Amino acid sequence: MIKTWELDPSFKYEIMKEPGGEHITSCYQCSTCTIGCPITELVPDYNPRKIIQMSLLGMRNEVLTSPDLWICLICQTCTARCPQDVRISDLLGAIRRIAEKEAEAGKLKIDSSRPLFDKAFQHQLEKHGRLYDMGLAMEYYPKKEGSFISGMKAMMKDYKDFGMRMFKKGKMGPKAMLPVKVKDRTVIKKIFEEMGEK
Amino acid sequence: MSVSKMAYYPGCPSEGTAMDQDMSTKAVFEKLGVELVEMDDWNCCGAAEVEDPRLVYALNARNLAIAEKEGLDIVTPCSICYYNLERSNQALKADEDLRTKVKGIDNSLGYNGKIRAKHVLDVFMNDVGQDELKSKMSKKLNIKVAPYYGCYLGRPRETAFDDPDDPVLMDRLIELAGGEVVPFSQTKTLCCGGPLMMTRSDIAFAMSRKILDAARSAGADCIALACPLCGMMLDGKQADIEKALNVTLGMPVVYITQLLGLALGIDAKKLGLNKNAVDTKELLGKVV
Ligand code: SF4
Ligand code: SF4
Repeated sequence: MIKTWELDPSFKYEIMKEPGGEHITSCYQCSTCTIGCPITELVPDYNPRKIIQMSLLGMRNEVLTSPDLWICLICQTCTARCPQDVRISDLLGAIRRIAEKEAEAGKLKIDSSRPLFDKAFQHQLEKHGRLYDMGLAMEYYPKKEGSFISGMKAMMKDYKDFGMRMFKKGKMGPKAMLPVKVKDRTVIKKIFEEMGEK
Repeated sequence: MSVSKMAYYPGCPSEGTAMDQDMSTKAVFEKLGVELVEMDDWNCCGAAEVEDPRLVYALNARNLAIAEKEGLDIVTPCSICYYNLERSNQALKADEDLRTKVKGIDNSLGYNGKIRAKHVLDVFMNDVGQDELKSKMSKKLNIKVAPYYGCYLGRPRETAFDDPDDPVLMDRLIELAGGEVVPFSQTKTLCCGGPLMMTRSDIAFAMSRKILDAARSAGADCIALACPLCGMMLDGKQADIEKALNVTLGMPVVYITQLLGLALGIDAKKLGLNKNAVDTKELLGKVV
């Protein structure tokens, strides 16, 4: 049941201020996005139309704590098909960023390890200017599992076979253990400082 | 042929899990007589993990500016890099304030909107052109291929260079090389699940399995694709998917640049065909 006194009617404006969220009020609830969504096909409760409706109604807390936010593939299928040009794929990204900010401020808990992964990725990029798989895994797994030891165990489990396979094909030699770095790293740092959310 | 020189953006996996894609891209362009100049000190495009568009635009302003200085359009073999580079290009071109703001961060981000970014498939089919490709092909591929496009080639609209629901450029390229395209239109543009690999591998594996299954039931000898993340999922992780879901797939997966390279008569080793995780030897026997 919706508790009307708990609704936050300004939530949609909060979303519209976030890049990617601008078009949320164009949605007329036709469900085209949801019918074509590959995640809905696998997880029947997943419903991007409903996330939009809940956001428009102002169900801020329910939306921001919904685990569904974190299983979108950003595949752009919904965006390509929406008759109202709502840009759902980007819109969900905008909502995810609001949720991340709230979580960082300690105001809510996110039931997914995806923010940890995205952050770990961004840290590698900020540090080296390129993706560094090893560094990414070394940051992500311990955070996800709650300790260094259990993180390393989980990493081994995911990567043992794959790593060996890649190694045998010459795709993961000793070179892959070290990061490839952009020369002009101060600029990359500046980009994150000026444009990134801290 | 309207193109003789391009700025090459290899993308981060080019030195690791997608080195076969990198090798075959270079070899194919060399054979086609298009000079690739690797962009000096390029940075990561932000991939799927940098979600803030402002950050994506600024990161890629630097890349675009590097190529603009050389006066060259960018070409990349990665669908995600292509999407990030070209949407940044369009955003920066359309918005002077954004250009000024980005340049304010550092002069090296000063981009004037004079070039564009392209995906290799677009360059092959629309710049080099089918006639030119055909004239350079010396081998016939007696191979049944499932052409897999994934996400960013046909959508979203602004950066797409093929149809969103039924893209055809890869189909045409395979046919041009004498290959047979198996019925695959229901699966061509399905996401491989890659963006969830590290956080929800159950979903990611289920997505990839659909594609591999569909290729199998269509009777394909291999899947052709055009993105290193799709390649990592469908090829690199195929054995993990088999193990986790207790299925046998055994579906060779090759980059479209590798297939084109074979048709152009380039040596399989030079195309990195010994580096694909699922063995490709059987395919090589069908190149005549
Ligand atoms: S397809 Fe567009 S208009 Fe229709 S429900 Fe989805 S977002 Fe709303
Ligand atoms: S971008 Fe997300 S919501 Fe849209 S179709 Fe893909 S998985 Fe579904």
